[in-house]
Amino acid sequence: MKNCAKKVYDAVVIGAGNGGLVAAVRLLQAGCSCLLLEKHNLPGGFATSFRRGRFEFEASLHELNDFGSVEEPGDIRILFRDLGIENKIDWIKIPEAYHLITTDKDYDCEMPFGIEAFTAKMEQYVPGSRKSITEFFELCDEVRAAQTYSSSVNGNTDAAYMKEHFPNFIKAGSYSVNEVLEALKIPKRAKDILNAYWCYLGVDCDRMSFLHYGSMVIRYITRDAWMPKMKSHEISLALDERIRELGGDIWYHSEAEKILTNDKNEIIGVRLADGREIETHHIIANCSPHIVFGKMLDKKSVPEQVVRATNARIFAGRGYTLFLGLNKTAEELGIKSHNYFIYDTADTVKQYDLMRKIKTNHVQATVCLNNAYPECSPPGTCMMYFTTMFMSDEWGNIPETEYFKTKDIVAEDMINVFERETGCKIRESIEEIATASPVTYARYCGHPEGVIYGYETADWDSLMPRMMMIQEDAAMFPGLRFAGGFAMRSSGYSSAYVSGDLSGRQTVGDIKRGGK
Amino acid sequence: MRFKKQIFGFMDMLRFKKLVPKRREHLANGSSAPLPENYKVNILAKKLHPGSMKVELTDIREVSSGIKEFVFKRLDENSFPFFRAGQYVSVSCKIGESFVSRPYSIASSPRDALNNRLAIAVEDAGFFSGYMNREAKIGDRFDMTEPSGAFHYEKLRDKKHIACVAGGSGITPFISMAKSMAEKDEEYEMTLFYGARDEAHLAYKSELDILSATGLKVIYVLSDEKNEKYEHGFITAALLEKYVDIQNVTFFLCGPKNMYAFIQKELSPYNLPVKAIRKDASSCGDRDIENPAVFSLKVHIRDDIRTVNAYENETLLTALERAGISVPNKCRAGGCGYCHSKLIKGEFYVADGRDGRREADKKFGFIHPCVTYPSSDIEIDIPVTE
Repeated sequence: MKNCAKKVYDAVVIGAGNGGLVAAVRLLQAGCSCLLLEKHNLPGGFATSFRRGRFEFEASLHELNDFGSVEEPGDIRILFRDLGIENKIDWIKIPEAYHLITTDKDYDCEMPFGIEAFTAKMEQYVPGSRKSITEFFELCDEVRAAQTYSSSVNGNTDAAYMKEHFPNFIKAGSYSVNEVLEALKIPKRAKDILNAYWCYLGVDCDRMSFLHYGSMVIRYITRDAWMPKMKSHEISLALDERIRELGGDIWYHSEAEKILTNDKNEIIGVRLADGREIETHHIIANCSPHIVFGKMLDKKSVPEQVVRATNARIFAGRGYTLFLGLNKTAEELGIKSHNYFIYDTADTVKQYDLMRKIKTNHVQATVCLNNAYPECSPPGTCMMYFTTMFMSDEWGNIPETEYFKTKDIVAEDMINVFERETGCKIRESIEEIATASPVTYARYCGHPEGVIYGYETADWDSLMPRMMMIQEDAAMFPGLRFAGGFAMRSSGYSSAYVSGDLSGRQTVGDIKRGGK
Repeated sequence: MRFKKQIFGFMDMLRFKKLVPKRREHLANGSSAPLPENYKVNILAKKLHPGSMKVELTDIREVSSGIKEFVFKRLDENSFPFFRAGQYVSVSCKIGESFVSRPYSIASSPRDALNNRLAIAVEDAGFFSGYMNREAKIGDRFDMTEPSGAFHYEKLRDKKHIACVAGGSGITPFISMAKSMAEKDEEYEMTLFYGARDEAHLAYKSELDILSATGLKVIYVLSDEKNEKYEHGFITAALLEKYVDIQNVTFFLCGPKNMYAFIQKELSPYNLPVKAIRKDASSCGDRDIENPAVFSLKVHIRDDIRTVNAYENETLLTALERAGISVPNKCRAGGCGYCHSKLIKGEFYVADGRDGRREADKKFGFIHPCVTYPSSDIEIDIPVTE
């Protein structure tokens, strides 16, 4: 190979997003050598922050799911402990679960963390819901236990064991959220309130697998959500530091352009955009299979089976975020909640459809970080971020001369909706503003069409069969595994970290077996 | 509890068993058409944010005594990207053994960019600007970053009426902003206060006169020349009040540091909120130190390690460029974060008021070399240039 790096690496990780960072640590902890390549000049992918004037904005994290307290750690805290980064980060606890508002005036509900408190509050909003909500959480708890078991055996579950220990999990396992909630006879209004988290997964509840949703909801409600004090950038830099401590190499501004193969289609290295080559036989790609199989690998080395499997998958939501630095405190502005979900309608199928178009999408998941951590912005100020998703590629049709105006149109709509629905007037207090559209996400992370949620976990491509097919999927192209939002665990911070953990550990196994 | 969806629970079990075969079948039945090579959102992203561009100098002309305008065309694509008026580009080239780059506000309009024309104005005042003014010639090639920076109008944040205050070569972003307003890409009403020594130092005077006919209001303020066509003296609060309602405008300032301090002092009795006054950043120069010490600067770039000398009074970025090492940089003012690098060991000093690092950067030992001076021997890990 020409213009080659001095070292040969056991594995190269492409992309220093949440999945890639964790995968790199796992490789290094097992004694493998590893080079982490990142096209941007920062680690973290979406997990970063940026400064404008007096404000440092969180780029994407609303709350870290399944983290839990020191005494009762959730799966992610345990993972961070294993990775050796838990104590590199200062943590703050998120106060309440969510504040759901629908603009059709049907709902305005504040939901707390904790099964007891949540169920009691639900009973208050929807009298008679207690029994079915209690059953819902029992079922979710079994889902969580089954998934923990499944992860612990890397997806190679024993059918008899599953049947004996998690019978309800299996019985409910093939149904959608709405099908299961119906079977549990949850009253309609309680169902609507319960479904508020759906936008975190981006699939309507007719098509979203109950297992996926249930396992997320119970993790939110039972194990408090947390945030790093210094924004998600603190986690990303803690992982960067950990990789360096373990002797790993990280190259920023180094875009992997090609994955090199030999005449047997085996991976032999990576070529960077500037021509530099690195020798390796194992790659973990923290990016989309569409880019890896469609652009990074030579067409002739990608088997038809892989092309078909990649084409079969459907892109999930394309992201948009508005960031505001306000020159008054949350209290002065009357902003009481940390986390708002504002929908047009609680009907998730209808809502999903409205999210296809810029004109009809008025959904927002909005965070006022000061209500979790008052010191996150200078005294006398507060900051907010408003996120939505688009379920089409309409942003790609905008002429470049209309682009900035279009970003403003969406931002203005978000501000208007928030002001109208909460009564909090924020517009006059805007000191700093920034917007990120699907174009921005495509620019920084390179994901096709500015997708921030990977592939839709809808219908046949839901979480459970993905998890059960980890080895089968990886066998389609030996030497290559995926981490991050496009991988088996789908999108979201916790899922991306877990995917890095899984693919990192499995690649260690591949390396040991492969002997190269 | 005993969950059951169907009347016979074993049907539920059966459905579960089919999850994997069903997914397997869908994957196998995907289209065999080649995977897409491009995606439309990504194409737009690449148009708007091309990264580093290869450019050629196509025109040079004097726009005032001591300021020349340089016009570029892009060589690697059809045209420059559309941008926000007020933004800057960083221009770089090799001069002798050194790599040098400097940020300059764009003077041409965003619409001009689409005709592959981008202009900057450079005052003959330093190492690179001196080179540009005296040695650069038509046909010379440079590297240029994509348009960047947050010094531009924001409809949802700023007042509809903006009061722009320019000093010297600080006029450039306002030329672009006035043109962009005339081209209807911006919705503000603009009043421009332009301070200069005398009439000969008013750059872009003829352009401004033309723009004045289409809605721009310009007030020329000469400090050293009395001329009844213009205001005389400095841009004081009293002068500002004569033309704008101070409480109902957003100020955009671009000029030398002492101009910022002067305007800020003049406006302080009005108790304006922070958001009412926006200042363009200026690049960070040398520190004022007599007999500066010289330190050793060890730099890691990927798997390459080099050691160079670094003076106590120069930024790490300048030291590296002087040694002929190309380093990622854009704003040279500590704010954009493009030169974000890891400190391995050593002591340093960050230029006053220019520490644009994130909180976690400070905690984990990251620095912005463009505003960081060495205070001891120092070792850093920097990314390669794009």
